[in-house]
Amino acid sequence: MLLHILNRSQSSSRVPLDTLRAMSGNDRLLLIEDGVYGAVGPLANVFAAIQGRVYALQEDLASRGLEDRRDPAIELVDMDGFVALTEQATQTVSWY
Amino acid sequence: MTVDGQEIALDPEGHLVDLDDWTPEVAKALAAREGRVLTEEHWEVIEVLRDFYRRYEMAPAMRPLVKAVGQTLGAEKGRSLHLMKLFPESPAKVAARLAGLPKPTNCL
Amino acid sequence: MSDTTNHPMLVVLRHAPHGSSWLREGLDVALVGAALGKTVNLLFLGDGVLALRSGQQHGPLGQKGTHPTLDMLEMYDIDTLLVDSEALTQRGLTVADLQLPASPVEAVSLPELFAQHSPIYSF
Repeated sequence: MLLHILNRSQSSSRVPLDTLRAMSGNDRLLLIEDGVYGAVGPLANVFAAIQGRVYALQEDLASRGLEDRRDPAIELVDMDGFVALTEQATQTVSWY
Repeated sequence: MTVDGQEIALDPEGHLVDLDDWTPEVAKALAAREGRVLTEEHWEVIEVLRDFYRRYEMAPAMRPLVKAVGQTLGAEKGRSLHLMKLFPESPAKVAARLAGLPKPTNCL
Repeated sequence: MSDTTNHPMLVVLRHAPHGSSWLREGLDVALVGAALGKTVNLLFLGDGVLALRSGQQHGPLGQKGTHPTLDMLEMYDIDTLLVDSEALTQRGLTVADLQLPASPVEAVSLPELFAQHSPIYSF
């Protein structure tokens, strides 16, 4: 299982679409930094196909005032959760 | 360093500051500074390096240098042992310096 | 955890030439990997496919391009060049428009490709 770490959002970039194309059926996706802008509202529908395997970093949502706007289908993780996800993965791939 | 009355600027690692300064005379002077004498076998490797740089705009690390020498001068010379004998210590770095090339960027 | 020690390294190049240094940095990582004796494969993804376009030149102010470095890859024994088929099509390009022979990869094959490489560096 790979952990894909994404710091760009689909509102400003095509990078999230390339990330999704590269993900296999059990890979996970973690949204960090500006990536969390893609975790809110209808924008997050782009992640529907990988529901249950998408995470957003709580600290980055909070700093953007968006913690309560997170799409409920996206799991919330804090820094410890980030570390745990990294440990569970065979390797990480960064997308920016 | 002065060659034929011309001042040739070198960086702290002994590479030419201006790569266009290179001439065979400059190569001989660079080699002399390091106590090396260039034989025919050195010159043919220097020529391979200069051709490599003209083509790819980069100085090669050891592995591609060995391959380039093998392609041009034959399998017998395209071996690291041959290059180690000609340019002891670090052939990719030493030969690039004498050939008037920048330091190999991906040579570790 | 699966054993990935025998997997080839993958460098994913996602940026076009000239506009930023990402492509060059990715190629540098590939060259270092190869210089250390690793098997290195390249995947040109998204805008990265433009790195392979034939006929590139230096920049208008003489800035170095990346096209000579692509020609050099074979000297580092980097000969598996994989290119995002969908991205080529989106840009009206085919493999015949490329500077070097590259193998097109369909989107459905990308996940398997990622799973079969380690480490993966994305630029």
